[in-house]
Amino acid sequence: MLLKVLRVIILLALMLNACTTTSEAQSRHRIIYGLTLQPSGFDPHIHASSELGIPLRSVYDTLVYRDPTTGDFVAGLASSWTVSPDGLNYTFILKQGVTFHDGTTFNAQAVAANLDRITNPDTASQKAIFMLGSYTSYEIVDDSTIRLILSEPYSPLLDSLSQVYLGMASPAALSAFSNERYQFNQVGTGPFQFVEYVPQDRLVIRRNLNYSWGPAFYNAPTSDSVDEIEFRFYTDPATRAIALEGGDVQVMGELLPVDARALAVNQEIILNPVNVPGQPLQFLMNTEQFPTDNLVVRRALITATNREAMIDAVFQRFSPIAWSPIAASTRFYSSAVAGAYDYDPGQARALLESAGYTDSDNNGYLDFGGSELILNVIVPPWGLIPDVAQLLQDQWREVGLRVVLETVPTRNALVERVNQGGYNLVAFYEFGSDPSFLNRYFTTDGVNNWTNFIDADLDRVLRDAVVQSDAAARGSLYAEAQRIIMDRALILPIRDYVNLNGVQSTIQNLTYDAYGWFPILNNVTVSGG
Amino acid sequence: MILRVIGVLWLAATLAFFALRLLPGDAITAQLVDSGASAAQIESRRAALGLDAPLFTQYTDWLVGVVSGDLGVSMLDGQPVNEIVARQVVPTVSLALAALLVAIIAGLILGSAAGLGSSSARFALNIALSAPIYWTGTLAIWVFALLLDWLPSSGDSGLTGLILPSAVLGFHTAGAIGRVIAAGVAETVNADFVFTARSKGLPEGLIVWRHILRASLLPAVSVIALQAGFLLGGVVITETLFNRPGIGRVLLDAVMRQDYPVVQGIVVWTAAVYIIVNAAADVITRQLDPRVAA
Repeated sequence: MLLKVLRVIILLALMLNACTTTSEAQSRHRIIYGLTLQPSGFDPHIHASSELGIPLRSVYDTLVYRDPTTGDFVAGLASSWTVSPDGLNYTFILKQGVTFHDGTTFNAQAVAANLDRITNPDTASQKAIFMLGSYTSYEIVDDSTIRLILSEPYSPLLDSLSQVYLGMASPAALSAFSNERYQFNQVGTGPFQFVEYVPQDRLVIRRNLNYSWGPAFYNAPTSDSVDEIEFRFYTDPATRAIALEGGDVQVMGELLPVDARALAVNQEIILNPVNVPGQPLQFLMNTEQFPTDNLVVRRALITATNREAMIDAVFQRFSPIAWSPIAASTRFYSSAVAGAYDYDPGQARALLESAGYTDSDNNGYLDFGGSELILNVIVPPWGLIPDVAQLLQDQWREVGLRVVLETVPTRNALVERVNQGGYNLVAFYEFGSDPSFLNRYFTTDGVNNWTNFIDADLDRVLRDAVVQSDAAARGSLYAEAQRIIMDRALILPIRDYVNLNGVQSTIQNLTYDAYGWFPILNNVTVSGG
Repeated sequence: MILRVIGVLWLAATLAFFALRLLPGDAITAQLVDSGASAAQIESRRAALGLDAPLFTQYTDWLVGVVSGDLGVSMLDGQPVNEIVARQVVPTVSLALAALLVAIIAGLILGSAAGLGSSSARFALNIALSAPIYWTGTLAIWVFALLLDWLPSSGDSGLTGLILPSAVLGFHTAGAIGRVIAAGVAETVNADFVFTARSKGLPEGLIVWRHILRASLLPAVSVIALQAGFLLGGVVITETLFNRPGIGRVLLDAVMRQDYPVVQGIVVWTAAVYIIVNAAADVITRQLDPRVAA
């Protein structure tokens, strides 16, 4: 009887396993690329994760691109464009002879179909629609000319149009598949075509041999160029370095700093750290909650923080210290704020004393009018923030501050906790090349104004910077915004984000685009093939 | 019997529904928090998904769907839950079956040996019981994938990809099975009928296999059925650790993102499987033990 049961189990297991084993024709230069999370969806018009862009950036072209070295906008699917003097009309002249992977032609109608899809409420776009800012409608001038019309000037529009979330998909494919099914059947014009996506398992792309309309920084393929890439999901950080070392993958993103340090001595692995523009790892300080409602206390908190020690211990020296609300690799970063509030516990103590805080009951912690100085810090689990918060607690104890760490398990829980109020600091940040994201955090009515700071000057500067189209003028507005944010000590910046990519030494020419997250897969070559 | 099955399913579904909603936040708010959406836009998205409806209305709407076989769609990518489960069921079931196989074989061997007095077998069983999958799994990856480079550390690459995860998960499960068998064997080894068999001059192997083990198997069968239920939980960790596709990883992702319909759907399916496995165990017990059948 038992033997029979065992036989049945063996048979079943073998049969099922046979179904899952896929036999794929091996491409000559096929690599496996490790992604760090399974995005909740892979449709760039609908979903919002950065991870989806790692493969799809090479499946879609965008109207414009950012040059990865200069950060300037260069021709993509649009060969040129003009912006009307009032900043309300963007006219794009489209390249001709561009075809989608399904053989259909790319033209102004195709751009229109994409815009229609993104702005259709039924699409429920989580990111792309908001990136369009004040865009209201389009006008097809002729087959290869389209004009986008805005209700008010919105200078980050080109930045948005250079991102994969506004990549151009084949209208034929968009109408052939429902919004739910399209993510499994994607069709773009890019250097790679979409082969398959199996949730929780893999996403495969293969080189588009007809591709000849790429931006100037896309090299022409050679016999060493990679032909096919399979992406796999490595959600658990601890498994990433093992998969790379064991040869299961050839490229892996977001290695843990300790693993990256260990891999640095491995001859077969090359570390490829990339600075990611956007916000640094930062704690937003609540200016409405005692004691962080006091500017002097906020300044003392930054001064009491030994960021260098954090970067040594937690980030293994792989990250630069952050000084500003935007990382140094972001457009319009102002070096004028660098060096402010450098670590000085003596100075921090003096500041706190000047604000009236003393240890009157000699218990090692400062108090004020009989009540202790307690700081509530909301700590999410990602980005090694718990480790940073632990060090923060230790460092601030030395100047007599008591820190209560409130860990929250998910983004949902963090948002919910912030909405309840009553916190002093909360760690949160996002990425982006154009600092227009600052408006959400530091204008009075910003959705993420978790500092609760209200300042007419800062509002005006940040709004002007989004409307202003002149780059130099934007630069000085953002310099002013950074100055105000740091002068009012609204944030405690810790480190600029660095994505620690590990690459097997057989892979060459792997570089990343201006957004830091997205590899330029077109240029990747494989040696020893 | 049918009523009891329906009752268990309903209870599991209801608990899943309300437990999830005790967590703060929801899928949409977190999804849109750094997208640039305004508060009003976020609110209208929630309304479109019915998240602003009274809890009881959401519950009854969902329950009506479940009864008609429709488990709803994912809040995040719109995929039907039944399709999500169907897509992931094969890798999970093959892992669970392979692990069960390892568990039964290892449990039988280690259990009989331990019951007959082998202290090293007893030690191995204790390790299997007490070491968490995360630890044995990491150790196994380090030894067999990195040091020896025999097997892949991750992925669903056919049979070779199944060996490590099923061995790790199966070893853990073998602990419970083996301990019950060991207890049974230790008890039976001095029974009168074994004494009789031995005095008849039967070979020792035959005595152990036919007489001692068979009598010790009865309690083991129900433990094996229970462990099959545990395996469904164990695959969550194993799939994550070995980066295998499957129900476990979908479930973990859905819980973290509060994708309610997906979590609820998987709970309902899992409860159904659990009920079926236990019913099967009852049938097998009857086959093995004529007294129960009578």
